[in-house]
Formats: sequence, C-alpha cells, structure tokens
Amino acid sequence: MPFDPESLTGARHRERHFSIAVAVVFALVLLRLFTMQVLQGSKYRELSEENRIRVEVIVAPRGEIRDRNGLLLADNIPSFTVTLDPYDKTYVDTPARLDDTVRRLGEILQVEPALLRDKVRKDGRQTFLPVRLKRNVDRTTVAYIAEHESELPGVDVEFEPLRRYPLGEMASHLLGYVGEVSDKELEDPERADYLSGDLIGKMGIERQYEKILRGISGKRFVEVNAMGRKAALLGERRPVLPKRGAALTLTIDANLQRAAEQAFQPGARGAAVVMDPRTGEVLALASKPNYDPNEFSTGISQARWALLSEGGNFPLFNRAIQAAYPPGSTLKPFVALAGLMTGAIQPGTTFRETCDGAFQFGRRSFHCWDPHGHGTLALRDAVARSCDVYFYQLGIRLGLERLSDFMKELHVSDRAGIDLPQERRGLFPDVAWYDKHYGAGRWSRGLVLNLAIGQGEIALTPIKLAQMAALIANGGTLVRPHLVREVDEDGRPVPLADSTGMHVAIPPAYAATVRAAMEAVVSDPHGTGYAAKVDSVRVAGKTGTAQTHGNDHALFICFAPVESPRIAMAVLVENAGHGSTAAAPIAQKIMQAYFHPAAAESVRVVASR
Amino acid sequence: MASLRTPGDVDRPLLFATVTLALVGIAFVFSATSMPSAATEHGLYLKQLIWLAVALGGGAIAAAVPYRIYMGRSAWLLYAMGLVLLVLTLFIGHVGLGAQRWLGWGPFKFQPSELAKVATVVLLANFLSERRLDLTQLRSLVKPCVVAGVPFLLVLKQPDLGTSVTFLTILFTMLYWAGLPILYLFLLVSPLINVAASFYLPAWIVFAAVLSAVLYRSRLRLMPILLVVAINLVVGIVTPQVWNHLQPYQRQRISTFLDPAADPYGAGYQIIQSKIAIGSGQALGKGFLHGSQKALAFLPEQHTDFIFSVVGEETGFLGAGIVTLLYFLLIYRGIKIAHRSRNRFGSLLAIGLTAIFLYHVLVNVCMTVGLAPVTGLPLPLLSYGGTSLLTSFLQIGLIQNIAMRWREY
Repeated sequence: MPFDPESLTGARHRERHFSIAVAVVFALVLLRLFTMQVLQGSKYRELSEENRIRVEVIVAPRGEIRDRNGLLLADNIPSFTVTLDPYDKTYVDTPARLDDTVRRLGEILQVEPALLRDKVRKDGRQTFLPVRLKRNVDRTTVAYIAEHESELPGVDVEFEPLRRYPLGEMASHLLGYVGEVSDKELEDPERADYLSGDLIGKMGIERQYEKILRGISGKRFVEVNAMGRKAALLGERRPVLPKRGAALTLTIDANLQRAAEQAFQPGARGAAVVMDPRTGEVLALASKPNYDPNEFSTGISQARWALLSEGGNFPLFNRAIQAAYPPGSTLKPFVALAGLMTGAIQPGTTFRETCDGAFQFGRRSFHCWDPHGHGTLALRDAVARSCDVYFYQLGIRLGLERLSDFMKELHVSDRAGIDLPQERRGLFPDVAWYDKHYGAGRWSRGLVLNLAIGQGEIALTPIKLAQMAALIANGGTLVRPHLVREVDEDGRPVPLADSTGMHVAIPPAYAATVRAAMEAVVSDPHGTGYAAKVDSVRVAGKTGTAQTHGNDHALFICFAPVESPRIAMAVLVENAGHGSTAAAPIAQKIMQAYFHPAAAESVRVVASR
Repeated sequence: MASLRTPGDVDRPLLFATVTLALVGIAFVFSATSMPSAATEHGLYLKQLIWLAVALGGGAIAAAVPYRIYMGRSAWLLYAMGLVLLVLTLFIGHVGLGAQRWLGWGPFKFQPSELAKVATVVLLANFLSERRLDLTQLRSLVKPCVVAGVPFLLVLKQPDLGTSVTFLTILFTMLYWAGLPILYLFLLVSPLINVAASFYLPAWIVFAAVLSAVLYRSRLRLMPILLVVAINLVVGIVTPQVWNHLQPYQRQRISTFLDPAADPYGAGYQIIQSKIAIGSGQALGKGFLHGSQKALAFLPEQHTDFIFSVVGEETGFLGAGIVTLLYFLLIYRGIKIAHRSRNRFGSLLAIGLTAIFLYHVLVNVCMTVGLAPVTGLPLPLLSYGGTSLLTSFLQIGLIQNIAMRWREY
C-alpha cells in the first residue's frame, strides 16, 4: 500500500521542525550540564566539600501591645537561643556523635537529653535550619558554649527577641501568651510560612491578632566552612531584613484592670468584665486565678504546663469568656422586660399569690430565697428585693415559649462576639431544646418557674452578662465587646474596623422602668445590692446567686451612672455564696476605681515608654 | 509483503532506551537510599524492582492489544473515569506536599492525574482524527480546548500547577501535529503568555507589541482578531486583580513556584543544594554510591524528584549526559513513530504520549539544574514510585503498539 501523504497535512516538515526544536532544547540542557559540571565543576566541588550554605532566619520582633493610655502590656527584649545543626558535617559523617553532643548540651542547658533528642529529630526533619533547643539562655551559659565551641560542633547561639509581659500576671487572660507552634498548627495551609520551633500566639490577644503582631521574618545566607564558622556571606544573595509586627493599642485601662483583679479575695475563682455600654470597648477583663505569660515565652516544661492547665483551680481557663454559669437573679431584669414587652404585665401589676416565703405550683412547693417572704410587690420592689415568688408567677404567665422567644430576640444564646479566641456560647433553653434532651413531653412545664429566676439549664458567660447589662444601660443596643482600639502599622495608627452592635427595639418607657428598678437594687436600703453603692454616683445593678452542686456562685451586674451610663459590668465569683455579699462589693471596688481614681492605687508608676 | 493486519516488530531503540533508563533508575534509587543518614527505608530499590516486573508485563499488554480499541466510545469512557477520579481526589484525596494529589487505599496510592493525562491524549486523538476536521475554523478548536481544559482546571485546583500544565502541553503539541497553523497556535497561547507578562510592565509591553504585529500581518478576518484582543484585554486586566485578592500564603506559593529563591529555606534551598550536587560531580562523577552532597540528606526527595541530582553527582557530566541522551532518544523515536504511522489517530496518539514524556523530562531535569521552578514532577522511569513506573511503561507500550502497526490505516 502506498503511503498516504494526506493523513496529516504538512506532516513531513512538521515532523522535521518538531524534531529539531526538541534536539535544540536537549542540546541546551547538555550545555547547561557541561557548564555546571565541567567548566564550573571545581567551584561546586569546593562548595560541596569544604563549605556548605546555610540559611539563617532573622526573627521579626512581635508588635507591642499597650493599654488605652499607652502603658506597655507586652514588648520584646533581646535574648540568646542555643541552636544545634543536625546537618553539620560532623554528624553526617558520624551520626553517633550527635548523641554525644545532645548529652553534653543536656548538662549545659539542664534539660533532659531525651527531650532534646526528640526535638532535634522532629524539627530537623522539617527544615534544614538549625534546631532551636533552648531560649533565653543566660550569659554564663553562652560564654561556656563559646569557650567549648570546638567540642560542640554545629552548636550555635542566636539572637532572638523574647516576648515579655512587664506587668507579669496582670491581664494575663486577655493578653494570652506565645509558645512554639504545634504540629497541628503547622498542617494548616494558612501557616505555611511557619517553621517548626517558631513562636506563635497561643491564647488571648496574642492568638487572635497573630497575623498582625507577628511581622515577617528575614533571612540571610551564610557559608559555613568545615570548622563550623561562618565564612563570607554569599555575594549574590543579600539578607532579607525582617519586618517587625504592628503594635496594638487596646481598649483596656490598666488601672481599672488592676483594680478589677485586686478586688477579688486572694485565692478566689471568678471573673469581672467592664465595658463601655456606648461603644462596646472593654475597659477591664479579669479572670482569677491568673498565670504568668512570661513563663511560656521561653518554652514551658511539661510538668509546669500540666499544673497550669489541669491543676486545681485551672488558672489557664479564662472564666470571663470560656465559662458559662446560670445567671441566677441577674436574669430577673430581663424577665421583667420580657413581661413588659409582651404585655404580660404593667409596671404596677401585682400577682394573686402574695410572697410568704414559698409558692405552691401543683404538688410542688417553690421557695423564695427569703423565708420570711416579701408580701405583695410590684415590678420595682420585686426586682429590688429579688422576690422569687413574683417571678415564679411572671414565668407562668409568660410561659416557656414567650420567655424563650424573647431571650432569642436578645441573642442570649449567641456569643457576645469579643475579639478573643474560644468564647463560649450561652444557652437559654427553649421547647425544642427540652424535647431534644429530655424527650418530647417528658419534661415538666414547671421548668419555666426555675428559668424565670435564672436557675436551671441557663448558662451565660460573664462577657455575655456584661453585654446584656450594657443593653439595659444604652436602651437597646447589643454592642459588640472588643479589646483592640488601634493597629499601629509603620508608625501610623489605623483605627480598627468599628464593631457595630445589633439593635433590639425596646420602648424607652420600659427600659426606664427596668433601669429604675435596678437602681433601687443598689440605692434602696432594702435592696440586695446595697453593698455596691458608690459615693455621688447613681448605680443600677442586680445581684444573683446561682445554685450549683457545691456552694452557690455569686453574681452581680451593674451600670453607672444611671442618667448616662459610661460603664457596664458583670462580676462572678465561683462558690462564694450570695451575690449581695460576695459579688456586689467587688463591683463596688471597681466602680470606685473608675469614678474616684484618686483613692485607688495607680499602676502608672511603671512609666510608659 | 506482510499483510496490513500483521503487527510488525517493536521499535528497538525505544525499547532499549526505556529499559536502560528503568535499570539506571533502580541503581540510583538504591544509591539515594543507601547511606545511613537516609530519611527513608533502605529496601526501596527492591520494591522498585518488583514494580519493574509488573510494569514490563503491563507494557507488553499495552503493546499487544491493537490500539484501535481506544477509538470511539471507549475513549469517552476512559476520559470520564479520569475526570471522576480527579474530582474524587479533590474531596477524599490524600494530602501530600500541601496538595491533594493522591487517591487510594492503604499502601496502594496513585495520582489520578496520571490516568487523566493518557485519557485526554486518547480523546483528543479521536477528535483531531475526524475526517471533516477543519482546524482553520475557530469552532473546531472549542472541543479540544474544553477536553484539555477541564482536567487542567481540576488539577490546578489540587493545587498542582506543574502537573496541570501537562494538559496544556498535550493540547498544543497535538493541535500542532494535527495541522493547526503556527499563527493560530500563537494566538491560542497568547492569553497564557499574557498572564505571565502582566506582572512586569516592560515584558507586557513587548508582548502586546508582538501580538499586535502578528495580528496586523495575519490577514485574519475582523471577528477572530477582535476576539483575541478582547480575551487578552480581559486577561490582562483581571490577572492583577486576582493576584491582589489572593491570600498572602497563596501568593507566596505562586511566587515560590516562579522564583524558588524567594523561599530560600524551602524550595530555593533544594535548588541550591541540587546545583551543588550536580556541579560537584564534575566530568566523571564522584563514583557510584560516593556522592557526598547526597549523603548530607539535603534533598528529602532525592530518590524521587531529585534523583537526577544524584546521577549528576555520582556519574558526572558523562553519566548525566548519557541519561539525557537516552531521554532524547526516547522522545525522538516517539516523534518518528508518530510520523511513520499511516493512521491519523495512531499518529496523534503517539505524539500526545510523547509530549507527556517530553514535558516531564524537561521540567524535572531543568529543575535540578536550576532552570525551572520546583514543581514536584517526577522524572519518568528514573524516579522512585511504583505506579509512576507502571504508567510510564503503559505509555511506552502504547507507543510501541502504534510502531508495530504503522502500516495500518
């Protein structure tokens, strides 16, 4: 059969052109190989035998954190980090020597050699960089290592900025801390520019604003000769300078923060959140007990970590945002508001059953906290004296559906939305929730009585309670609590995107009624919050006592001054008893520090830079 | 004279190049994993040897079954399978090196893109061998572009830029082979050049000038010219916008791909070490098993992606040159076989498969000598990897199939 030239049009010269093009490309590859291996071979041979090129990372200093008045809350100090290069020629030739060096370093640095060995094995696999073994090493050790350089091949001391929190334990929960990046974090594609052993924000502001605070690390190429000393920098490659992280200015007032933390008894567990009800700026956010974030910057030991994270009082736990408690009677102003807004009651409404210390519902008797009883009360006094029997009857009249619908409108079960990681969601149960957890129809309607006095399955975080107090204070706006005021980039402050709140339509008259009732809580000598009274300032508040398995939790919410509120707050003390005796006095001390600061101790002794 | 239907002999130079390269591969997988500091197990070359036996069998079958069975509906079936597996990979694939490329159970993992490549070649060969195809008609380009474009985008999404470009290489090579005028080919590629050039204004101006000149002299009708200009304008405007909206880590990934030195402790560092390894091999090499750069374990993928560096270090210019020439021989025979086949489908099939080899070999070798970015593409036949070896042999088997039946129309 003859060859069919039509099978591919112009096939003959296409084949030739294509073959020639391929041949030219392969010839170029051969030329490249010839240049590298024959012409420049000796240069590369030298590089491979005597020297090796190493990259060193220049860590960028983290952005500083300051309070609203410019006081330093977190900065950096220079420190020494001891590193070991497992790819040093010595160890490549005789791997067994690595063990000797690690053992030696264990003695010098006083770290368990097994831990060092694990670290070298793990971090060395992921990068070709020297492994950072111990941070913040003292000068004596640095000098010792320098003297014994020849016995410790591949060991080096690098400069690294060390994170420092000048105020120690103060504000630890909101600031958070930094630590070495974990394996899990390294898997995240967003963390592609992190190397094993790098520091990363682990909690609080440090974690939330990691991207802003971190900066961009620089790098330099170094030729290292057989002796392990740094030879000339490669001419062709300039170092890339690090870019420091942007500084943050917080909404926190360090004086108020200190007052809040000191208002708690030593050894107490609890939280206090103070915010501006007009803007959502958080002025103080305290959680007790505290921890010292400085401990983490240098790498914390396993035992110490276990003690902090699991030991007794859980000091790492940020009770202000991570813990949810039944609000107890602090919920009553909101239940009253629900009654007013649904039309279930008027401000002057009284209920049929007078309070004689208990209330009979079906076959069950529900007690009022005061066994002597309150008699017949209307809204104002029922809130002021926290009469349970009034709210039992209000709860029945509202019913579970109406009550839970109203709470949903207030976004009680949502997060307050603070700019901190791991905020816990609140919970106000509704019919669907009970059906799901107890089975449809297998729960008693009497549950609403408990809910109406803030007991039962309701769980709210202190930050959420503060946001709700602010809602009453500002007349219907759920402001979003936030901690960062400004981001300072390249010396030019950039205000952070405003955090707008959600509006709940509350008729001004009803808001005024609830506000007046809450003021009576503090100003009325019979009021349960009399202990929160502050000279010359009109304070509105509400006490709460949440029943738990152990001793009751004490709660208090408040805002002041009543005529134009500038602060709203929630205080919680775990297992401390009554809100009126254990929580209200703490709120009083904080308000005292806010409205009459001269009397309070100032922390501005530590001059701001 | 032999009957048309009697298969002829296999192409001996192609067989020689293939088997020699595979054996060289096993020798250097052994070398790359032999030193005590190696990060991987030492017995990998044995596994590779077993895989070679399997691959030889697979290749023989691929050569024996007449290639006509890949015409018509079976091409669609193969292509559909390839796409389904690619989509599956996006959802349930194994993550490796920051991308989802692998599919499989337990120890059996493979990259569906390997199947998709061959399937795309087969389907394109079907389209382009249609009797009434007129490549001067713009309309006739739509189908081939879609067929190559879909797997291109799916693999790009993984993200595996290096592999995804294979589909474009296949498309352009086969269009050229099918008779698309070089002018049209240039216009087809122009948006891609545009993307690359849009990052650097002088380059973009040169590109725009060349494109204008070509269009002016092309004697095309107004509509196609306007279409090309419109597409290029859109691409030129959109590219910087897309770039500005990427996450910083995505941008970093792309700039590292284009310029490894931008990431000196990752990809850039590997390139430097690979160049030192190859260069230090000098004319005759440091001797088999005696590479010292290799021993430093600088290259974590030295038995896979960077195996050519080990060859260069231990056997010098002599060895690296011979291996390069063997690859040239392989590709040259592929072109010859494609040319000789009287069957348009067979011819296109052979050139498409050859294009896959050409692309992989050039990208990988150029990467190790610092001429191309780090892509994670293996060197066919040499790099460690069982399924990769098997696919290479299946492809060579198909090319042999066409060689043996060159007389058939």
